[in-house]
Amino acid sequence: MATPKSAKTALDLLVLTVLSRRGGLHGYAIASAIQDLSAEALKVEEGSLYPALHRMEEAGWIAATSVVTENKRRARVYELTRAGTKQLAAETERWSVLTSGVARVLRHA
Amino acid sequence: MSWFSRLTNALYARPLDHGLDEEIRDHIERRAADLRAAGLSAADAARQARTAFGNVTQLREQSRDIRLWSALESTIQDLRYAWRGLRGSPVFTLTAVASLALGIGAAVAIFTAADTLLFRPLPYREPERLVMVWETDLTRPEAARSLVSTDNVLDWQARTDAFEDVAVFWDGRSTLHDGDQADELHIRGVTANFFTMIGVQAVRGRTFGGPPSRTSKEAAPEVVISDRLWQAWYDRDPGVVGRTVHLDARPQTIIGVMPAGFSFGDREVDLWLPTTIARSGSARQGRDSHAVARLRAGASLAQAQTQMTTVARALEQLDPAFNHNWTVTLEPLRDAFVHNVKASLLILLGAVGLLLLVACANVANLLVARQSSRSSEMAIRAALGGGRWRLVRQRAIEGLLVAGLAGVAGLLLGRLALDALVAMAPQALTRPAEIAIDWRIVLFTAALAAASSLLFGLMPSMAADRGDLTAALRRAVRGGSEPTDRRRAWLISSEVALAVILLAGAALLGRSFVRLQAVDTGLQPGHVLTFHFRVPSPAEVGLFAQAIARIEALPGVRSVSAANLTPFDASGGETPVLIGARAPALAGAAPMARVRTITPRYFETLGIPVVQGRDFSAADNTRGAPLRFVVNRAFVRAYLGRDDPLATTISPSLARSNPFGEVIGVVGDVKDASRDGRVVPTVYSVYARLPYGQMTLAVRTEQEPMAIAAAVRQTIHDLDPRLPVAELRTMDEIVGQMSARERFSTTLMGGLALSAVLLAAIGVYGVLAYAVSQRTREIAVRLAIGAQPRRIVAMVLGDCARLVVPGLIAGVAGALAGSRALAPLLFDTDAHDPLALAIAPAVLLAVAIAAAGIPAWRAARLDPTRALRLG
Repeated sequence: MATPKSAKTALDLLVLTVLSRRGGLHGYAIASAIQDLSAEALKVEEGSLYPALHRMEEAGWIAATSVVTENKRRARVYELTRAGTKQLAAETERWSVLTSGVARVLRHA
Repeated sequence: MSWFSRLTNALYARPLDHGLDEEIRDHIERRAADLRAAGLSAADAARQARTAFGNVTQLREQSRDIRLWSALESTIQDLRYAWRGLRGSPVFTLTAVASLALGIGAAVAIFTAADTLLFRPLPYREPERLVMVWETDLTRPEAARSLVSTDNVLDWQARTDAFEDVAVFWDGRSTLHDGDQADELHIRGVTANFFTMIGVQAVRGRTFGGPPSRTSKEAAPEVVISDRLWQAWYDRDPGVVGRTVHLDARPQTIIGVMPAGFSFGDREVDLWLPTTIARSGSARQGRDSHAVARLRAGASLAQAQTQMTTVARALEQLDPAFNHNWTVTLEPLRDAFVHNVKASLLILLGAVGLLLLVACANVANLLVARQSSRSSEMAIRAALGGGRWRLVRQRAIEGLLVAGLAGVAGLLLGRLALDALVAMAPQALTRPAEIAIDWRIVLFTAALAAASSLLFGLMPSMAADRGDLTAALRRAVRGGSEPTDRRRAWLISSEVALAVILLAGAALLGRSFVRLQAVDTGLQPGHVLTFHFRVPSPAEVGLFAQAIARIEALPGVRSVSAANLTPFDASGGETPVLIGARAPALAGAAPMARVRTITPRYFETLGIPVVQGRDFSAADNTRGAPLRFVVNRAFVRAYLGRDDPLATTISPSLARSNPFGEVIGVVGDVKDASRDGRVVPTVYSVYARLPYGQMTLAVRTEQEPMAIAAAVRQTIHDLDPRLPVAELRTMDEIVGQMSARERFSTTLMGGLALSAVLLAAIGVYGVLAYAVSQRTREIAVRLAIGAQPRRIVAMVLGDCARLVVPGLIAGVAGALAGSRALAPLLFDTDAHDPLALAIAPAVLLAVAIAAAGIPAWRAARLDPTRALRLG
């Protein structure tokens, strides 16, 4: 069953996925991408996004580089690391196990 | 995260924060740009971007979750979040806070009273070693705690070592006069060792010193005054010690002032004077004094009791005429102070505990409902990265906030309730000690609030833990039943059961109270005003006759009479009566009767019927008239049998010589002994033959008796300004006070039960309204395919029955089991009174159906097309 731990990694999974498809994104772009890709079904809470980014950075799954934006502001751009790629594969596997489980429950419950 | 990096984060907070600031600003700017591109004005776009992001500070703090102090920071932030959440749903918040505040307020009031009277240590030196000593007449259960004879006390002291010391005191009233003002005060005569024995010192001057004098009959003319008197009469003048006052016209010197709040069982005493217990002569004196003893160190109450029983038996043999069938009973001090309110207080304590439980269940119920309605929101927040612990904690903090608000409101409510409680409390409750909220009660409230907050915050959280993505999704798809439904049904059942128990208790007390009120007291209390005053010296008893004559002349007065004891004042002892033409009965087995001294027209004034013979005439009320008596029917029943009462002569033991006098009349019984209806055989004697220095005047009026109160006061003042009019009140009030304790318990229990019923109704309504809203779609479908609205109503009411019937059954079972405890408070009512036990569940059922009515009606009126489109 889905424990809150795996529920929490749902956001991680989404972030890792987005970064694996189109690398080098800042926070806002990641949030917008998740929102667009889910056809507005998932709205990322910014309050969770940045802690998640920093946590994954700590864990070494993603790496951030500081860039100076067009309006002279420092922003951080995130990219998937090698460890992140492995993590993504594992998370994806877990997620599909989970969702197929959920789907079965939904069908048969 | 490693401890090292935590530490560096903590130490180098600024650079990282700075980076985050930039990142956030970048995020907001980008969104604003997008919004502008979508056509918003620059200002609107900036504002919306900021709003969408939420609180920037909040985010910064969340991001600092990885820091050392995150727990504290996020707690404060959760508090803010919870506050916003509560403000966002005012109905929920008000209901929850009001329910809990009601419970806490009631608990604070009752617990304060109970704490003061039952649990707090008495403010004397080693109070656990202090006992009241009573004499007990083994043949009369109502005389189990009689006053003691000081002659017997002297014998106890000589014959036992169970007591370290014994002090004796008596209570009375006297007129205090200091040249400027006169007032009637409650006074207490105490042996010189009284204050040292209980271990309380005067704050100014001294108390009576030295061992009790056994030789002198006269005590020194010294008095100790209360702090209240010191304040009221002398404005706390430090020079009060040494001043002379007149107590019943006798000069006395004030030697000391007692500390504020000092009392010993009766807070109304304002003045203490020394008394002695020297041997009175050959014959033992009447039982007229209180005795308090200090147990010898190390001696237990049981040991002392055993010793005293032996001593009492020896005294019975020594003086059978006086002590036949009398023994001695020791009673712990606190029991003696509160014995007649203890049972009521314990019952109320239990009742308020139940109410508190109902309130807790109600709030838990509301929180569960609120959280299950937000479970999808919670599940999605969890899916998008809200920490599990964080979400649980947020709910806990919401519970804490509700409980905290309720705690504050409850404390305020409790203060008000306590004032009301003290105002309506019988004297027996307020006399022993001052009842006021203190810091212990505040702490208690805080603890109560904290405990309930943990309960409410965490219990729904347990439910929320299961509110995971899967379940939330499943519900979103199917609209299935809530996992919390069963929990809520349990809560409602418990609420209903507890409310039934409380209501059954209140119904029993109410029934008992009605029966008590229906008891015929034997007189007609309406339109009677009473008051008393005492004459300054025995030589001036003629003032009473003058007062009667002057008041009789007032307009609106029908008749006036005086008596030494107010009706229902049972403080007068009983005295042996010899009945003419009969051999004197055995000592100790002589007929006993209470003697009341009255002036003519007493029976007419109070509405006591003269059933045979006549009342005293004015001619009887002269010194030279032949001695005559009036007796009550109980006297005739008990002692005269079939003899013609009017042909009998009797001799009540009143003075040194007691000639026989003829019985000239028989009057109806007045139930003034106790509420169980026992009537004391009573002999009425005419005033001129047995004068007292203090008399109670009764005035029968044409109109509302209090209307002439001022005129009566003025009349007495004009007669002699030294006469303070005391206890001016109506006979109705006196009769009401007889059942004050019952009225108090009944009213309070009724209030608690009513609150519980109200809370249960709120609970039932909440659950059903929620259930209906959850089943909107189903109901709409049913209506659309042709179900009668009647069926829908029946369905909701069926839900209601399923919800409350188990509670009703459990409640009746609980009431059956618990009502035994009420038995000591019940008058002429069985603890398992079927009517009371049937009324409670019936009322609850009716209230539940009424509460279910609103959601049922709403469901039946549902517009299927609209509901389905929206659903």
